[in-house]
Amino acid sequence: MSMRLGPRVGEVIDRDEPLSFTWNGRTYPGYAGDTIASALAACGVRVFSRSFKYHRPRGLLTASHLDPGCMVQVDDEPNVRGAHRRVRPGMDVRSQDTWPTLSFDVKAANELARRMLPAGFYYKTFMSPGWLWPAYERVLERFAHGGVVGPGKVSALDGNERYDKRHAHPDVLVAGGGPAGMAAAVTAARSGCSVMLVEEELELGGHLRWGDDVDLTALSELRGRVAATPGIEVLTDAVVLGRYDGNEISVLQRGLPHVAERLVKARARTLVAAPGLIERPYVFAGNDVPGVMLSTAVRRLVNLHAVKPGDRAVVLTANADGDATALDLERAGVEVTRVDARRGGDVTRALGRGRVRAVELGDGRRVECDLLVTATGWTSAVSLLTMAGDQPRYDDTAARFRPDASRLPSDVMATGGVVGDGSCAQLVAHGEATGREAARRSAQSSVTASAAPPPLPVEPHPALFRGRTHGMVDFSEDVSSKDLFTAVEEGFRCPELAKRYTTATMGPAQGKLESVNVVAIIAEATGAAIAETGTTTWRPPYAPVSLGALAGRLREPTRLSPLASWHHSHGAAPLVAGAWIRPDHYGDPVAEAASVRDGVGIIDVTPIGKIDLRGPDVSRLLNLVYVNKWSKLEVGRVRYGVMCGEDGVVIDDGVTGRLAEDRYLMSTTSSGAVTVWEWLESWLQTERPQWRVHATPVTTSYASINVAGPRSRDLLARVVDDVDVAPEAFPYMHVRTGRLAGVPGCVVWRIGFTGELSFELHVPAGYGLHVWERLLEAGRDLGVRPFGVEAQRILRLEKGHLIVGQDTDATTKAYGAALDGLVKLDKDDFVGRPELSWGGQPGDGQRLVGLRMSPDSLVPAEGSQLLDHRGLICGRVTSSRLSPALGRAVCLAQVEAALAEPGRQVTVRLVDGGTARAAVTEQLAQVDPEGVRLRA
Amino acid sequence: MAEAYSALALLRHGVTGRSWTPMWRERPLERGYPVVIIGGGVHGLATAYYLAANHGVTNVAVLDKGYLGGGGSGRNTAILRSNYLTVEGVRFYDRSLELYRGMASALNFNVMFSRRGHLTLAHSDTSLRTMRWRAEVNKASGVDSEVIGPDEVKRLVPEMDTSATARYPVLGALHHPPGGIVRHDAVVWGYARAADRLGVHLHQHTEVTGIEVSGGRVTGVRTNRGPIATPVVLNATAGWASTVSDMAGVPLPVQTFPLQAAVTEPVKPFLRTVVVSGTLHVYVSQTARGELVFGASVDPFASYSTRGSLEFTEGLAGHVLQLMPSLAKLRLLRQWAGLCDMTPDFAPVMGATDVAGFFLDVGWGTYGFKAGPVAGEAMAECIATGQTPEIISAFGLDRFAQGRLVGEKGAAAVGH
Amino acid sequence: MILLPCPWCGPRDADEFGYAGEIRPRPDPSTTTPAEWRGYLYLRRNTAGWTRERWFHRMGCRRYLVLERDTTNNDVRPSTDASSGSGS
Ligand SMILES: Cc1cc2nc3c(=O)[nH]c(=O)nc-3n(C[C@H](O)[C@H](O)[C@H](O)COP(=O)(O)OP(=O)(O)OC[C@H]3O[C@@H](n4cnc5c(N)ncnc54)[C@H](O)[C@@H]3O)c2cc1C
Ligand SMILES: [Zn+2]
Repeated sequence: MSMRLGPRVGEVIDRDEPLSFTWNGRTYPGYAGDTIASALAACGVRVFSRSFKYHRPRGLLTASHLDPGCMVQVDDEPNVRGAHRRVRPGMDVRSQDTWPTLSFDVKAANELARRMLPAGFYYKTFMSPGWLWPAYERVLERFAHGGVVGPGKVSALDGNERYDKRHAHPDVLVAGGGPAGMAAAVTAARSGCSVMLVEEELELGGHLRWGDDVDLTALSELRGRVAATPGIEVLTDAVVLGRYDGNEISVLQRGLPHVAERLVKARARTLVAAPGLIERPYVFAGNDVPGVMLSTAVRRLVNLHAVKPGDRAVVLTANADGDATALDLERAGVEVTRVDARRGGDVTRALGRGRVRAVELGDGRRVECDLLVTATGWTSAVSLLTMAGDQPRYDDTAARFRPDASRLPSDVMATGGVVGDGSCAQLVAHGEATGREAARRSAQSSVTASAAPPPLPVEPHPALFRGRTHGMVDFSEDVSSKDLFTAVEEGFRCPELAKRYTTATMGPAQGKLESVNVVAIIAEATGAAIAETGTTTWRPPYAPVSLGALAGRLREPTRLSPLASWHHSHGAAPLVAGAWIRPDHYGDPVAEAASVRDGVGIIDVTPIGKIDLRGPDVSRLLNLVYVNKWSKLEVGRVRYGVMCGEDGVVIDDGVTGRLAEDRYLMSTTSSGAVTVWEWLESWLQTERPQWRVHATPVTTSYASINVAGPRSRDLLARVVDDVDVAPEAFPYMHVRTGRLAGVPGCVVWRIGFTGELSFELHVPAGYGLHVWERLLEAGRDLGVRPFGVEAQRILRLEKGHLIVGQDTDATTKAYGAALDGLVKLDKDDFVGRPELSWGGQPGDGQRLVGLRMSPDSLVPAEGSQLLDHRGLICGRVTSSRLSPALGRAVCLAQVEAALAEPGRQVTVRLVDGGTARAAVTEQLAQVDPEGVRLRA
Repeated sequence: MAEAYSALALLRHGVTGRSWTPMWRERPLERGYPVVIIGGGVHGLATAYYLAANHGVTNVAVLDKGYLGGGGSGRNTAILRSNYLTVEGVRFYDRSLELYRGMASALNFNVMFSRRGHLTLAHSDTSLRTMRWRAEVNKASGVDSEVIGPDEVKRLVPEMDTSATARYPVLGALHHPPGGIVRHDAVVWGYARAADRLGVHLHQHTEVTGIEVSGGRVTGVRTNRGPIATPVVLNATAGWASTVSDMAGVPLPVQTFPLQAAVTEPVKPFLRTVVVSGTLHVYVSQTARGELVFGASVDPFASYSTRGSLEFTEGLAGHVLQLMPSLAKLRLLRQWAGLCDMTPDFAPVMGATDVAGFFLDVGWGTYGFKAGPVAGEAMAECIATGQTPEIISAFGLDRFAQGRLVGEKGAAAVGH
Repeated sequence: MILLPCPWCGPRDADEFGYAGEIRPRPDPSTTTPAEWRGYLYLRRNTAGWTRERWFHRMGCRRYLVLERDTTNNDVRPSTDASSGSGS
C-alpha cells in the first residue's frame, strides 16, 4: 500500500531518480533523497524494530537521527540510524535482534512476564544455587540488543572504507545550521573570520526545512546568504561530537567520497553552539505503539519525504508546531482530531499492538485512528554546552532546562532555540549578534567576554512530561515511568542512581530524547521540584561514532635501521622490540652463535641508544648519572657504566667513550635511548643548570654494527682506512675514530657484550649498508656471517652479561644486579647514592646469580620460579638458554640474598609443574670467566 | 525491615503489585559514631558491612560527598582477576575473588559475577617472559593461570588478529580462567543494602571538610552537615585520598590521575573473555547487554578533572582495531573518566597511621575494585581488633619510609 | 586537549610534552636521612588546586619548563623557566 504523497514544495526526494533496495530480504522501491525509513514508510511499513526487553514492535518516533525505533543493520554495519541514513540502490537492510522474523518475534513472550521483570529484576534473583548462574547468564546474553559485528560479517576494509582525519583551525565553529546558526556563520564570516558551519542533517536549514511557505522563503534566503559569503566552510551530514579542553572540537563527517567517514579535529577560537531544540516525547500508556509519533516526525515525513504517516490522526498539541502539524496532515488528506493540551486536553492511552488502532483521551472519549501525534514540548540540546562547563537551569515558564550562559567560558557561546524562543526573524537577529560577538572574541588574543547578545524571549509552555498513565520513558532501553517510580521507592532517589538502576538514558539514544522526562518523573516520584532534582552530566560523544573514524589510519610508527632492507632480503625473522623491528635470526641462531665463537660474525645493533655529549662538564655529568667513577677517563678510552634512579634501582647501562677532550659518545640500552637522554636533560636543566654540557641524541644518525669473534680483528683490518687495529694499538675498552671502507666520521670501540673479541662500529647512517656489505665481502674467506638478536642473547648469557629489564626488574637495586663492585660510594654525589649507601646489607632483597641445572641440559623457561627448602618462592630464572659452547643450560636468576652463595641448592619449579635442582654458580660467566677471549 | 530477594519474591510482587521496601534508608545524622568511614565506594561500604557482619560493630557511619558509588566504584570497568606478580598480591586478590564468588548469596543480591576468563596479550618476547613469570607465581600459589600460544588465543577470541604480520603480533597470552567481570553498581548496592540491614548509617551528600586531631588522636570530623564526634576514621576516598589525609596531617605517597573508559553501542555477544594488551594500552570486555567496555592506561598527567579527552578515544579506537580489525563500524557511545590514587609501587596503602584512630585504605589506583571485598574484610578486622591482619601486612604506609616497596611494579614497569 | 604555554614555542598541545610532576626540592644527598629522602622520593602533595609543576617540551624546544596548573580543571598559567633552578 503506497503512502507516497504527491509532490511537496520542500521535498528532498528526487522523483526522477527511483531506486530499489531490500528490507529483510524483500525488494522495496524508493527515491534518491529518501532515508531508509522514509522509503519504507512510503511503502506502508510501520514496524522497524523490536524493543530491547519486551520485544514490543516499534515504529518511527522522531523520524530523525535520534529515532530509537529505527536502528537497523545495513550490510555489515550494525545499529544504523535508518531514519537518517539515505537509502542507496542495492542496500541490504535488515531488522536487528528479531527471531524468527520482525513480525513474529518469540522474545515478545517477555511481555507476558513483564510484571515479574521490573527494573533491576536481575539483581533480585538467580542468586542461588550459584552453579546455575552461568546458565542464566547465557540466557540473559541472548537479550543483548543490537546488530552484528565480527569476522564473517565484516569485509576487510576496502577502497571506500578507509577512514581519515583532518585538523582544522577555524576562527569560529558554528555547531548547528538552523536559522540562528546560519545567521551567526554569515555575520562572523563577514567580519573577516574563517568559519566552519557544521550541520548534522543532510542539508542546512534546521526546522525551517519542514515548515510552511514563510519558513521556506526564509530558508532559501538564508541558504543564499551562506552560499554567497566567502569564508564559510559548510559541513553537512557532519555532527559535532564533543567540546574538549582548549576548545578542541571533534566533528564527524559522513557521506564523503573516497572515505567512509572523517574525523575533523578543530581548534576553534570561538565555538557557537546553535543546536536548537529536540522535541520531547510524552509519557503515557502505549506511547511506544507504532503510529505514535512526535509532531516533528510527522512534518519531516510529510513535507520532506512526501510520506503520509497514517489515514486518521489524533494530534495532541500544546504548541504552534503541533497546530501546524495538524494543518500539514489535513493538507495531506489525513482526517485529524485535535486535542489541545493548552485547554486541558490529554491522551491517556494508545491502543493497539503492531499499530495504533485507537486512542483514549483524558475526557474518557475513545477515538479510532492509526496515527497519534504528540507536540508536548521541547528539550534544549545543551550537551555541547555542558561539556564546556554549563549547568542548565530549569525554566518553569518554558518548561525546559535552559543553558546558564554565565557559566560558559568566554570561547563558547550559544544562540538559537537552545537559548530561547522567538520568530524566525528574532532567531536570525540573535544569531547575527552572536556571530558578531564571536568574531570580536576570536580576533583578540586574550579574550575578554563582553557584549552578550540581547536575550531571546522565552515563551510560556505547559509542563507536560507524563500524563495520567505510565508509559515508556527510554524507548531504546524499554524503561517505563513505572520503573522509575519503583527505583525511587527502592531508595534510588538521586537521578544518577535511578538511571543506573533502571538503565534509563544508557542506551543508544544517549538520553537525548528522554533525559528531561527522566528527571521530571523522578521529581514527581520523590515529590521534589524539577529544578532541585537537577539535570545530568553529558559526556561526549554527542552522537555515537565509529571506532574506524576515531582511529583514522594506523598510527604506529616503526623504526627501521638503514640495514633493514638487507635483513629483509636475506631471510631475517623479524623481532618486534619496542618501536624497532630487528632481525631475530637468519634461520639458524645456534649456528650464528657458533660462527661468532669460532670465526667472526656481524650484527646490526643500530637501535642501541647513542647520545653525543660535548662541553667542559661532561665528566661531572657522567659522575653524577653513573654509579661508577668517570673523572679519570682518558681520551681514547671507553668504560661500562650503570645508571640508577634516585631510589637506587638500576635503570640503564651501557658504555661511554671519550672521543676527544670535551667530546663523548654515550650508549644506552635500545629501550632506554629516549628516557636516558631526557634523564640527562632533566639533571642538566633543573639540578645542574650551571654545567656546560650539550646532549644530542644521535641514535639514528649512526648505523651500528658489532663485529665479533676471534677473527674480528682480521676482518676489521681489511676495511679500516686509517685506524690501527693491532692489539697494542687498540686495546680492549678503547675507542678510535676514523675512516672505514672509505667512510669518514666513524666511531669504533672495542668492547665485548658477546664475550668475544669484538669491535662496535658506529657509521654515519647513510653509509651503514655500504659498510655492512663491505664487511661481508671482505670476510668471505673468514666465514663471516650475520647474526641476529637470538645468537647475541645466547652469547651474552654464556658470558653472564646481564640485560637491564630482563635480569633486573623495576625493584632491582645496583647490588641486586651483582653490580656492587661498580658502585663507588666514596663519590660525593651520584644519582641513587643515598639509597645504595643504606641498602645492600646481606640478607636484603634479591641478588643476580648464575645457575647450574641438574640434569644440566634441562633449560627451565625464563620466568620459572625458584623454591627454597620449605617450598616457598625464593627467586626466579631471568634468562636461560642451552649453551652451544658448553652443551648445557646456562641461566641467570634472581634469588633471595641469603641463598645467593656459590654452591647453594635451590629447586626450580618447571612450567609443567615438575621440579629440578639447581646450584648457584661461582660466577655469572660460564664461558671464559677470566675474559681472555675479550682481551685477545 | 527489607525483605529477602528471590525469584519467588519477584513473582509475589509481580502478582500482588506490592512495592519493594527501600534498599537502604535515609537516617538522621547523629552527633557521634564509634566509627566513621569516609567514602561510600566499594571499599568504604564493604568495610562497614564486614565491621557489622563479622565483628558486631554496627554503629558505623559511611559518609560520602556525593551519591553511593559515585567515585571510582561507579566508573570502573569491573574486571576481576588474581593473576598478580607478587606472592602477597596473588594471595590478597585471590581472597577477594573468593568473596566475589560467594557474594550473591552472602549479600542476597545478584552482583552478576561473570567468570569468563582473562587474557593478557604478549606482543613481544619481553612481555611473554613477564607473562610466564606471572603464570609461574600464580601456579605456585595455587591460582589458575597459564601462558598460551596464538592459536589458543584465536580459539578463545576468533575476532583477534593473530597474524604474524600485525604491527604488534600476538605472540601469546597469559590466560587466567577464574578472571571475569561483575556489575559494579550491584556490588556497591549489595554492600550498601546489607550494611543498612545490619544497622550501618549511610549518609550521602555529606562531605567531610576537616578531621579533628588532638594529642595525636582522632576525635571527630567536620562535615557540610555539622560535626561528628568519633575516635575512629577510615579514609576510603581513593582518588581524593590525599585531600582527606591532609586533614589529618598524614602525607601520602599518592598521586591522582584520571583514568578514562568508554562503552560502545550494544551488538550481539561475540567476545567471551576479557582481553588486555599492555603494549597497546587497551583492554576490552563485552557485557551481557552486548556493549563493549574499553579501558586504557591512566592519563599522561596528574589531575582531578574528569572531563576526558578526544585523544583518549582516538588512541583507544586505533588500538582496539589493531587487535580486532572487524570492529571498525562499531560505534562508541559514551566516554567517561574516574580518578585513580596511584602509588609508586602499584600496591595499596592500608592500615593504621601515626595518628591514632586514623586508618587508611587507599592507593587503589586502577585496580582497586576487585580488591573491595578483601580490603573491606581486612580493614574491618584491623579497625575492630586493632591488629593488622597478616593478609595486608605488606601494604602498610611505613613501607615507604623503610624503602620496602612491594614488587608489583615489576609487572607494570618492565617496559622493555 | 589542553594547551600549554611554552615560553619558547608558544601555546602547544599537551601531548607534545612530557609530564615531570610537581616540583619537589631535592634534599642534600650528603646529609639527608632515610626518612627525609624517602619523603622526597615517594610522598606527594597531590594538591587539588593550583600546583607548580615541571613539563618537558619533548617535541618542541626540548626544554624543561615550570607551569602552574589548577588540577581541578586543568587551567594553566605560565610560571618561570625551569633553568632558573630547581625551585620549590
Ligand atoms: C575508568 C576506570 C576503570 C577501572 N577499572 C577497574 C577494573 O577493571 N578493575 C578494578 O579492580 N579496578 C578498576 N578501577 C579502579 C577502581 O574503580 C577503584 O580502585 C575503586 O573503585 C576504588 O574504590 P573506593 O571505594 O576505594 O573509592 P571510590 O569508589 O572512588 O569512592 C570514594 C568515595 O569517596 C568520596 N569522597 C571523596 N572525598 C570525600 C570527602 N571529603 N567527604 C566525603 N566523601 C568523600 C567520593 O565521593 C567517592 O564516592 C578503575 C577505575 C577507573 C576510574
Ligand atoms: Zn617549547
